[in-house]
Amino acid sequence: MENTQVPVRQKQLRVTSIRGMGQVISVTAALLVMTVIFGIINPSFFSSDNMTNLLRQVVPIMIIGMGQSFVLITGGIDLSIGSVAGMSCMISATLMTAAHMNPILACIITLIAACMVGLVNGLLVSKTKLPAFIATLGTMIIARGIAQLANGNLNTDGIPEAADGFKNLFYYGKTFGLYNPVWIGIILFAIFTIILSKTTTGRHTYAIGSNYEAAKLSGVNVVKAETKVYIFSAFLAGVVGLMLTAQSGMGTMNAGTSYELNAVAASVIGGVSTMGGQGLLIGTVIGSFIWGVLNNGLQFAGAPLALRNLVIGVVVIVSVLIDRVARSGNVDLKKWLKF
Amino acid sequence: MKKLLSLLLVVMLVMSVFAGCAESDATASDVTKEAKLVYLITMDKMDQHWVNVDKGASVMAAGLGLKYKWDAPDVKDNAKQIEAVNNAVADNADLILLAANDPQAISEAVKNAKAKGVKIIYVDSAANEPAIATLSTNNYQAGALAATTMLDELAGAGMTSGKIGIIGVNTATNSTMDRENGFRAVVEAAGYDILTTEYKDGDAAASQESAYGFIVGNEDLVGLYGTNEGSTVGVGNAIKASGKSIIGIGFDKSDAIQGLLNDGSLKAAMAQNPFTMGYLGVAQAYAALNDESTGPAVIDTGVAVLRSNK
Amino acid sequence: MKGSLLELKNVSKSFPGVKALDGVSFDLKAGEVHALLGENGAGKSTLMKIISGIHKRDEGSYKIGGKEITDINPKIAQSLGIAIIHQELNMCQDLTVAENMFLGREETKFGLLAQNHLNDKAKAVLEQLKIDIDPEMVIRKLSVSKQQMVEIAKALSTNARILIMDEPTSALTEKECKELFRIINELKQNGCAIVYISHRLEELEEITDRVSIFRDGQYIITKPFNETNLDEIISYMVGREITEKFPKIASQKGKKILEVRNLNSGIVKDASFDLFAGEIIGFSGLMGAGRTELVKALFGAERIESGEVILYGERIKISSPKDAISHGIVLGPEDRKSEGLCTKLSIRENIGLANLDQISNKWGLIDKEKEKTLTEKAIKDLKIKTPSIEQDAKNLSGGNQQKVVVGKWMVRDAKVVIFDEPTRGIDVAAKVEIYNIMNQLKEQGVGVIFVSSEMPEVIGMSDRILVMCNGKITGDLKANQTTQDEILHYATQYSN
Repeated sequence: MENTQVPVRQKQLRVTSIRGMGQVISVTAALLVMTVIFGIINPSFFSSDNMTNLLRQVVPIMIIGMGQSFVLITGGIDLSIGSVAGMSCMISATLMTAAHMNPILACIITLIAACMVGLVNGLLVSKTKLPAFIATLGTMIIARGIAQLANGNLNTDGIPEAADGFKNLFYYGKTFGLYNPVWIGIILFAIFTIILSKTTTGRHTYAIGSNYEAAKLSGVNVVKAETKVYIFSAFLAGVVGLMLTAQSGMGTMNAGTSYELNAVAASVIGGVSTMGGQGLLIGTVIGSFIWGVLNNGLQFAGAPLALRNLVIGVVVIVSVLIDRVARSGNVDLKKWLKF
Repeated sequence: MKKLLSLLLVVMLVMSVFAGCAESDATASDVTKEAKLVYLITMDKMDQHWVNVDKGASVMAAGLGLKYKWDAPDVKDNAKQIEAVNNAVADNADLILLAANDPQAISEAVKNAKAKGVKIIYVDSAANEPAIATLSTNNYQAGALAATTMLDELAGAGMTSGKIGIIGVNTATNSTMDRENGFRAVVEAAGYDILTTEYKDGDAAASQESAYGFIVGNEDLVGLYGTNEGSTVGVGNAIKASGKSIIGIGFDKSDAIQGLLNDGSLKAAMAQNPFTMGYLGVAQAYAALNDESTGPAVIDTGVAVLRSNK
Repeated sequence: MKGSLLELKNVSKSFPGVKALDGVSFDLKAGEVHALLGENGAGKSTLMKIISGIHKRDEGSYKIGGKEITDINPKIAQSLGIAIIHQELNMCQDLTVAENMFLGREETKFGLLAQNHLNDKAKAVLEQLKIDIDPEMVIRKLSVSKQQMVEIAKALSTNARILIMDEPTSALTEKECKELFRIINELKQNGCAIVYISHRLEELEEITDRVSIFRDGQYIITKPFNETNLDEIISYMVGREITEKFPKIASQKGKKILEVRNLNSGIVKDASFDLFAGEIIGFSGLMGAGRTELVKALFGAERIESGEVILYGERIKISSPKDAISHGIVLGPEDRKSEGLCTKLSIRENIGLANLDQISNKWGLIDKEKEKTLTEKAIKDLKIKTPSIEQDAKNLSGGNQQKVVVGKWMVRDAKVVIFDEPTRGIDVAAKVEIYNIMNQLKEQGVGVIFVSSEMPEVIGMSDRILVMCNGKITGDLKANQTTQDEILHYATQYSN
């Protein structure tokens, strides 16, 4: 019998060897090019005012995008996150206005409520085997309904001065020159990236997205793993809801509408595959930046509103195409174009 | 191969951005570097109402040699309007003409803009934060005027009692709520029954369906009232489709509404003066930017009653 | 039995409507390879699922190391040292070798994955089996045979002592099979016991110690392999004598149907051959030689880059399966479940799908009666065993599924029928039925092409054998004058 000495591993230092980085690098390049173009068209784009603004604008979609990415990696989708953000906005605002509640307590209750929705989504998908699309469609409508009920089908009053600290933390305040939400985004990104790439939870997330049966037969608790991602997604949507409350200083029943699809767009642009099993959160971050830069830059360039949607739509489709091309490994361009 | 394809797609991505920038807003006026920048931020860019505000504003801006830009969210949304204001400030706007989607929500953003030295004038809908001037329709009075017009028409048609239905926009927008409340006060006093308002966010199709629902569900329906352009178009179309002689009164002016007035489906519409709001607003802006007197702090730009001659 | 690692006695299991196992027994000794044989439906896979904890037995005793097992599920089975290597490999394609190996058993340090440590552990196990694979390689990039080796390594890393291998060689080439057998021998030497299920009876000789045979859910017999022979085994399996394994019939060679000249498509380079009416040509060669690519190109499923296809003397252009079908060239593809059938549809719908032009009118409305008649004809002609024409294709046995794949085309009067690995994963008796179908076509004057990796089958059924290597046709041999060695010689002509 040979000497079974455990071999010494050589550290892989090349960034490109990390799975999924290929597309991330491509879109980062595209982002830089876009930024430069917009800056040339209107130099105000580069002003420190606009840049700090831009960072803050990007944060909501980045945070909600990360939650959606977790779900997408398992092969599912969470259509309810926009409504959960709106619901969180309304609940937190109502608690702070009508119920005169301490903002900290209001935030905690709001986030718990958001996680409850996530739990429901998770159980529906993992235990009753309802397709994610259908399950989260249902909770999307329910959560929006809760948003409307929270303050009796009215938007709330302005949140009181006592909640100014809350407003500063979640939107208006700055720390070391960057708006606070940006810091919140950075911290959440760090936490969730570690979860995704360095813990068993993250590993199981990729596994059930890659091959549910294989994961199950390998002893992975698939119900737990799948439920967790929906809770993450709802939690992050809840955080965004709090940011919306802070931003407008009140609860709006329609807050967060269509955020779920924007989140899918950001994820897909960043290389998260809608078929599951692949994707990195850094990609989602870049994807949300592309989203933000397009929206912001096109406005600074004076592009008509209608065209903005067109451009963003094209970008999403192109990103999915890149994903398909990368997925199929060896691609024969001629064969591809034939059919 | 794969890398080549990825690169190709990235290039396409960038080209599409170019395409987006190739057309720029026709309304951006081209003047000297020294000119001040005035931004108009409305609630959305869809409503003809805002298009008219923009027309008035850009005419005056061109005449006075001001740099001018118009921006708004694609849908009525507080968060998006806040971003629009922030972007305008970052784009070095000197003055913002603002139609606040919600008086409370936008206040903080307005405060911050003012802190950065940006001057504020409200058009159409004011916010809670104080500004240099407000140009708007007194919506409550306009609603009351709509009511008297409605009563007038009903009397003329010999209908002294019955039900009246209101198609509103939403409970959050103060301007339309004021129009509704002003209307209600007058009509209820005259003894007509007002049904529970249907709120359809100004979507013409949805408004039409709800209006038709009112017609079909109430034998004794004598009048319908819409509180903005979309609601009014819906009301008029519903009346036309039903073929009944119900009195339709509405708000705002547009080609669609004019058509409904022409064929008698609507009897009258309270036309706001969005062009005037924009036009005078920019004039006041010019004055403000040159540290001159800006005139009255509140200007009621009023409504004209457009009547059908059928 | 003393010394048995695993022992099942009088085990029965029923499902609604069918008794899958009827009082069967099975035992396993350490260090042996015990083959479990039987036709499809004999109960082998049900037994495996009971052993691995996926199903619970209704009756009977199940002992491991002498201890009775009362409660079992996949996780418990894993802890008892049982591992199963499925026929359809079950791995997470986007994860690496090491990540798959330790899926569900990841070690952590302060809550974070100890990935480096796991990678090293994986490398150690792979080296123990002398398998040269990088543990950080993503599974998707590995060949099927390498993926299988990873599955085996995974089983070993769970300290499995009982390995169940279900059709492990069905997708492997000769060379890869040899590698697999070497690993199996390593495992044997380590004291593992292996339950080996395969339809490839010829290869059992190399590794099997004992053989047990089931038939129709019942236990028939167990014998040491060296005390029996293949013919006896087959007769136990089918309950009757099978005299002719390969029922070859003489060929009445007719006109030249097909002429392929200098065909280039993907890895296929410069292929040329003729096909005559009433003959069967077999395509032999190693995995990756280009046989499937060649037949797919003829069927229009792959692009023909250059070259000519001449049918009955006339040059034809094939750029899609539709073209091929309209010229009478049809294909039963390699992967019947994913390429040959719509498994979620019924037999009727599958057969109808390929023949919509025959059963629908000019407005596109489908004549249900015609569809039914067509399907019933196919079922009768090919002896497809099914309770009704509405049976979902996925519920049929492998052999019957293959018949539906072929049946689609049989009702069309095809001129050239191509079979790609028609008997893969099918039991002995059903194989003979497929061979008979091929003969039927031969007698009708159809030109039959069949691709197979089982050399005995190719020699047994073809009139001529074309050998491919590295995309080129390297040999054109007469079946009754050649040997396996000669075919292998041409199959490895890389320098040509």
